[in-house]
Formats: sequence, C-alpha cells, structure tokens
Amino acid sequence: MRLHELVRRVLLGVAITVVVVVTVLSVKFAVNDIYHKINLMNSASSDNVQWSLSQAEVEFLELSAAVAIAVRDSVPDLAPVRREFDIFYSRINTLSRGSLYADLARVPDFAAALAQSRSFLNAVAPLLDGPDAAAGLTWLEGALADLRPSVRALAIAGLPHFAAISDARRRDVSETLVWMAGLTAALIGVLALLAYYFNSLNRQNLRRGRDLTQTNLRMNAILSTSLDAVVVTDINGCVLEFNHAAEVIFRRTLAEVKGLPIGDLIVPPHMRGTHYAGMARMQAGGPMHVAGKGRVRLDAMRADGEIFPVEMALQLAHDAETPIFIAFLRDISRRVAAEAQLTEARDRALAGEKAKADFVAVMSHEIRTPLNGLWGNLSLLRDTGLTARQEQSVHNMEISGALLLNHVNAVLDITQYEAGKMQIAAMPVDLNRMMQDMVDGQSGAAGANGTTIAWGWVGAPMRWALTDQACLQHVLLNLVGNAVKFTPDGSISLELEVLARDDQAAEVEFRVIDTGQGIPQKDLARVFEDFETSDASFGRITAGTGLGLGIARRIVRAMDGEMGAESTEHEGSKFWVRLPLKPAAAPTRRARTPNVRVPATPRQVLVVEDNEINRQVVRGMLKAEGHSVEEAADGRKGVAMAAARRFDLILMDISMPVMDGLQATQMIRTGGGASRDTPIIALSATVMPEQTEQFLAAGMNGFLGKPLSRDALQAVMVDLPGAGATAGPLLDRAQIAATRDSLGPDAYPKLLARFVIEGDDIVTRHAAMTDDADAVAEIGALCHKIASSAAVFGATRFRARLRELELAAHDGTLRPPVINPGVAAPGSSELGSSELGAVWVQTLAALLGALD
Amino acid sequence: MPRFLRPLAVVMLAISALVFVVSTGTARQLAAPVGEVILTVSGSIEATGPDTSVQFDLAGLRALGARQIVTSTIWTTGPHSFTGVSLDVLLRHLGAKGATLQAVAVNDYAINIPTSDAVPGGPIIAYEMDGEVMSLRDNGPLWVIYPYDSDASFRSKVIYSRSIWQLDRIDVID
Repeated sequence: MRLHELVRRVLLGVAITVVVVVTVLSVKFAVNDIYHKINLMNSASSDNVQWSLSQAEVEFLELSAAVAIAVRDSVPDLAPVRREFDIFYSRINTLSRGSLYADLARVPDFAAALAQSRSFLNAVAPLLDGPDAAAGLTWLEGALADLRPSVRALAIAGLPHFAAISDARRRDVSETLVWMAGLTAALIGVLALLAYYFNSLNRQNLRRGRDLTQTNLRMNAILSTSLDAVVVTDINGCVLEFNHAAEVIFRRTLAEVKGLPIGDLIVPPHMRGTHYAGMARMQAGGPMHVAGKGRVRLDAMRADGEIFPVEMALQLAHDAETPIFIAFLRDISRRVAAEAQLTEARDRALAGEKAKADFVAVMSHEIRTPLNGLWGNLSLLRDTGLTARQEQSVHNMEISGALLLNHVNAVLDITQYEAGKMQIAAMPVDLNRMMQDMVDGQSGAAGANGTTIAWGWVGAPMRWALTDQACLQHVLLNLVGNAVKFTPDGSISLELEVLARDDQAAEVEFRVIDTGQGIPQKDLARVFEDFETSDASFGRITAGTGLGLGIARRIVRAMDGEMGAESTEHEGSKFWVRLPLKPAAAPTRRARTPNVRVPATPRQVLVVEDNEINRQVVRGMLKAEGHSVEEAADGRKGVAMAAARRFDLILMDISMPVMDGLQATQMIRTGGGASRDTPIIALSATVMPEQTEQFLAAGMNGFLGKPLSRDALQAVMVDLPGAGATAGPLLDRAQIAATRDSLGPDAYPKLLARFVIEGDDIVTRHAAMTDDADAVAEIGALCHKIASSAAVFGATRFRARLRELELAAHDGTLRPPVINPGVAAPGSSELGSSELGAVWVQTLAALLGALD
Repeated sequence: MPRFLRPLAVVMLAISALVFVVSTGTARQLAAPVGEVILTVSGSIEATGPDTSVQFDLAGLRALGARQIVTSTIWTTGPHSFTGVSLDVLLRHLGAKGATLQAVAVNDYAINIPTSDAVPGGPIIAYEMDGEVMSLRDNGPLWVIYPYDSDASFRSKVIYSRSIWQLDRIDVID
C-alpha cells in the first residue's frame, strides 16, 4: 500500500513537472517570439521608408526649381543645379540599392518608376558633368517635366505596399499577442491548478499535522499518566524520551538525561557489561535476547545509586526509518518485598509443618512400639485358655487396641502422603471379590446398627482391573465405614459403574450411598479436609481423627482419580470415587487370598530384636504355628547366628543397639555364611517410604510393620519358597495303582525306569542351568514334558514342583537354583543338592518302595 | 650685413622666436583648410577658427586619424568598409562642450545627435566607402556611420535617423 502510494505520488509529481515545464517553455517561446518581433519593428525595416520616398519627390522638385532658376538666368549658375542633381541622384541610388527597399523593388509600378528615374539620371549625368551643361538646361527642364509622373509614382507605388506590410505586421503582432494571451491564460490555469493542488496538499498536511498533534498529545497524555516508566532510546541507547513515571522512579528529569546513554543512567554497574555487550551484538545485527521477549525481571538503579528490581518489556520499533528502543519498566521493589515476606511466611509455615510431621512420625513410632507389645501379648493371652469373662475383657481390649492402632496409622499415613512418596501398584484385582469381601466385613457392624448393606454393578460389569487393591480398599473402606457409622436403621448400597471403556482404559465410578443423617451443605466442601469431623456432637460419639477422608482424597489423587460427595441433610449422602482403571484379563493362576489359611510348613526362624517383649510376642506367635525360633538381641549376634546355620527366615528389627538391622542384613548378604540367601523381613514401626527403599537396598526381602499382626506374619510364612509344594502329598497312591493296572505288571517297571531317567535328567539339568533366556526356555519345556509323566506315576509333589518351575520359566522369573549340600537327603547322590532334587530323591525312594 | 642692422636682425629673430613660441603654445589654433571645405563645426567648441567655426577639408579630417567600420547598412546591399574620423575623436579635438550636435546635410536634412553617442567604438564620420572617397551622388562626401552589425542597439530607428549622409555642418548646442 505504501508502495502504491509512493508510485502514485511520483507519477503525480512527474505530471505536474511536465505540465509546468511545457507551459513555461511555451510562454518563454512566445515571449521570445514577441521580443523578436518587437526587435524586428525596431530594426531592419524601421527607418522611415515612406519619408524617404516623399523626400525623393521633394528633392526632385528642388532639382526642378534649381533648373528653372538657371534657365531663366542669362549666365546660369550651374552649381545649385549640380548639387540638387547629385542629391536626387544620391536618393534614387539609395532607393535602388538599399536592402531596406528590396521588398519595394518587387512592386512592379515602383520598379518601373525607379527604372525610369535611373535611366533619366544616367542620361543627365554626362550632360551636367560635361562643359555644355548650360546649353542643355532647357532640355533638362523638359526631361524633368517628363520624369515627374514617374517620381510621383515612386512615392505613390509604395503606399499600398507599406499599408499591406503594416497590416501584416499588425496582424502578426496581434496574433502573437493573442497567442501570448492564450499561453498566459494557460499558464494562469496551470498556476491555478497548481495553486489548488498545493492548497489541497497544504490542507491535507494541516489535517495530518492536526491529527499528528492530536496523536502526539494523546501519546504524551498516555506516557505522562502511565504508571510504568517509559524510556525511549535511539539505536545507540541514548535517551530520547523519559516520561513522568520514569522521572519519579529513577529520580532523574528528562532534561538531565536527554541524549545520554541509558546504560550509565539506569543500568546498575554490575549489569553494564552485559547491557553494552547486548547493545553491541544487536547493532551488529545479532539476535536480541531481551527485546521483544516479553517481560523480563532485572535490576535497575536510581539516581542515588539505589538498586531495585524492575520488570521490563523492551521493544524495537522504527521511528521513520531509524530504529528505536522502547522500554516499559515497572518498579516491582514493593512487590518483591511483599513476595519475600510471603515466601518467608511460607517457609516458616512449611518449617512448622515439617516439625509437626516429624513430631507426628516420631510420636507414632514411639506409640507403636509399646502398642506392639500390648497387641501381641493380647493375642498370646487369648491362647492361654481364658474364662468367658476374661475372654470378654480381652476382646474389649483388642477393640480398643485396634482403634488406637487405626488412629496411629491414620496419622502416620498422612505424613506418608504429605511426603508425596505413595507407590501405586498395578496388579490384576478381582473387583467383585473385593466388593464382596468388603460387604461381608462390614455387614456385622452395619447389622448392629440396624442397617442393611449390599453392592452391585450398574450397567455392564468389569470384573478385573489393573489397580492397587490395598489403596482402593482403603479408600472404599473409609467411605463404607463412615456410612455405617452415620446410618442408623437404614440402608447402604455400594454401586460400581463403568463410565467409559475401551480396550486400553476405562473409567470406573464407585458410589457409596446411604440413607443416613446426611451432611449440611455448608460442611460438604470441608469433609475432605484434614482433622474435620462432621459435627462436634457426633465427633464425640464416633471419636474419629478427622483424617480419614483427607487421606482417602490423597490416595485417590495419587491414583489419578477424583472423589466427591453429595448430600441432603436427614436424607442421606452419596460419596463417589472416579478412577481410571485399566481393564485386565482374569489371571490364569488363582490369586492368593490372604483370608485363606494355608497350613505352613514348619520353619526355622531367627528373630533379631532388641526389645524383649516384642521378641516374646514374635516367638509366641511363631511357636503357636509350629515353627522353631532362635533369638538374637542385637544385629551383631544375629549376624553370627545367621552365619553359623541356615535359617528358613530371618525377622530383623531395624533400630537396635550395637548394630542396626540394615547393617546386619548387609553383612549377612555379603558374609558368605549359611543363611546368606535366607529371606530377611524387616520388623519396624518406622514405615516412612524412603526407609522402606533403604530396607530393600540393604538386601531385605520384605517388611512387617509393628505392631505385628498374626495374619501378616502368617502370610509371610506361607509366602516362603517351597511352602505350597512341600505341603502337598508326596505320592498319589491311587494314581499309581491305576497306572500299574492299565499298563500291566510287565510294562509298568520299564516305563517307570524311563521316568526315573527323565527325572534324573531334569534335576541335573536344572541344577546346572545358566541364567540366559534359552536355558530358561529349555528347562521350562522339559518341566512341562516331565510333569505329564509325573502325573501318570502319581508323583504329586514332584509334579507340582515341576509345574512351578514351568510357570516361572514362562514368566521369565526362573533362576538357577540355590545349591545346598547340607539339605541333601542321607544316602542320596548329589541330585538332592537343590530343592527340586530333594523332592525328586524323596519321590524316587517312595516310588521304588511302592514297587514291592 | 651692415653692423647697425645686426641688432635689428637679432630683435627680429627674437620676435620670430616669440611668435613661434606663442603659436606653439596655443596648440588649438587650427590651420585653415586648404582644399574644398566639406565640414563646418560651430557652436560651443573651444577651438575656434575664423567666423567662430571650424572648417575641415578632407585632409583636415584625415589628419585627425582614421577609423574603419565594416558593416552592412539598410541603405546599401551587403557589408561595406567605411573609413572616417571617429565622432568622439573629432569632438575631443574640437573641445566640444555641448550635449547635442545639430547635424545638417547638404539636402537640408537635419537631425540632433547627443554627444553621448560619441564614444570610442561609436559612430564615425565616414569619408571613404570601400576605400574610395564618397561623392555627393554616393551619399558623400561625409556620412555618419554607426557600427550597425556590431550591436542590435545600433539597429534602431533613432540610430538610423542619426545616420545622416551628405553631412555638411555640425552645430554644437547645449
């Protein structure tokens, strides 16, 4: 657009110039022409020709008069005659040869008269020059009379010619004047046009000037009222503008800074190097680091040298063609001070929080340890054969203990979640089973309140999902527990609904709906906050810590879900939890359920614990299950005992005198003693997340919190390697009988012999296997094949062991076995050095024994 | 020579010498023309001859020094060479004091020429055209000629009217 405008202006300018030049040239040409013509009138043709012609006649008459006088004299004086003749001669001569009369000579009458005059003169001259002049006077008089008409004709013949010339010249001058007038009019017209054009240009410029003035006024008003300092500099950083706010902020006036480099004025000394380097780089055409990059926070300096923080936005603009910098600076020293105060306040608050969390954690630990003693001894007390009254007391103490433990756990959980170290597992979970267990578990409490409780899917069910069962259970139990507490004589329904689902992901909503007392609208938002109980009076009854929902909310957030509540007072509440859950396939192996009691194989357990009461509790619990127990009072003793003999399990306290549990574990693992591969389970009231990581890093296999519960301990015992396999019967004698019957007494021993070879082979190969994937796959395939044979020959335990190995190979968890010469059965070969080998040796002995 | 005559001779000689000295002292005392008088100048002039006028014959004019103008004129065809005495030289020679010259021709044509015209490079009183003395029949014997071709200002009606031919006499008036 600008280019178009430019082209238009250039064209207009060229057009105007051409018109003016043409007009001026025309006028100049015309003036020249007129001047030339005036010159002509003044010069060549400007002697009075007509006078000359008349003069010819006068002089002719003079001559005639002189002749007439001379004729009458007796002695004529010829001198006057001769003089007058000469004068006339001279005149005619002039008329004949003068360039002035050249045009006249072309007039025939004139030419003829002139010729006659000349011939007269030529004829008379010899007479007058000769001696007989006097004698010829009379003839001369006659000749003069004859010539007179011709001389007259000379004068007359010229008249029309001069009239014509005069007319032509007048016409010419008049035409020139008209032409001149026309040109002048044209010039005036052009001048008028130009005047109009310049006038309109002027008006336009005036208008633009007014607009510009107005814009400038407006800009100045904006600049002067701006609260931000506005500083404009040229490309070299010299100040062009410095508004009122800038004057106030930097304590300098525009007059004193104008034209000075900005770097020396408002840039603090420690930043000047960077400033000038940036200017130089920018002037060299380099990249701009600050300009056009939005708000930048930096330090600036006032006139008195005070350095303060500013927020600056720098822009490169163009003033006409010159680049300029415009900087908007905001004094943020107050804001920064306020921020600093806020930060300090926050830091203080955080430090307080931290102190609180630390205090809570320590207190929890200190409370748990004695609680562990109480709790464990209570369960031991129950086994001592109590009277009904005693039994009731123990039961009541257990309830109180459980409540106390819950509270302590809740407080501890808070600190754990505050630390942001929650680990969310993703395991296949049977949601149906989980819900059923929950309803079963709560129906007693609900029933005591006169409330029914039930669960069900709304819409299509999704039974299996990948999630963290413990976390999910915790959250739902909290909600259900609350519902049970707050719903007397009502109903509680648990609903599950798949809100959205595809192959990869699903969103499931869990709803706990009760017909209880409800929550007032004003309290609804607060129920998820820590240490909130729904009301004081109820708080007295239910004695909650007020942490339950806060924890539940934290867990749900950690699981990327959300939760909320709706409620109508006196009608009921609805709490909902929405979680993104990945759909899962039902696992091929049945998940172990903690509630199913599996009788554990008797084990040899080492308990390393400094607290004697706790040692006794653990010993009591383990002995009640039929395990044998050795004890060590500190870590060093534990290490010595573990080195001396092989235990099936070591339970290791963490905080102990002499040597702590972590160090002891490391020594057992690296010491090469008999129990270096034995599972070690930590026993501690300290359950902070970072510490559990430390446990695993030290070489521990698991963790049991204090106070120790019987179920948790039992679960650990059942989970020990080989537990399930050794628990089964060695041989299925009915199967053996059936096989022998179908094969016949001759074939059976032959096939049995082949099975023995196969069994030896797998045990040998398994013991010698390497860790690489091919070996694992090979062992897995072999286990599968031989497991079939084992089934045929009723080798139930051996077959189960093979199946485990096959599944482990399939999972990729199969590792070379621990070779333990000390466990080998007496009289057996080296085959029995592995667990599989031990089972095989026993099986083989039994099978061979059964042959008889 | 008798002795008594010798003092007389000395006195005579002395008188002669005195006369000579006086005559050379009045250098403006012009010799009377010998040939035909062709120009008579009268009026306010310092050097006056008999009859309070100065008369020139051709030789007298020639004696004042000649100047030549080659020019065309409107009364002739083509360029011609005119020779004569420059008007300013003549007036200075005569010690003319007036502002105007009243020039009169043989045919009684009369015209006023301002003495301001009489400048070096200005008009001459020509007595020769193309190297020949001009007769009365050829606009002679004297013709005031301006150098018309040299400047357009000489080609005006006024100048043409001042170009008097057959010049006979000049009266220097105020």
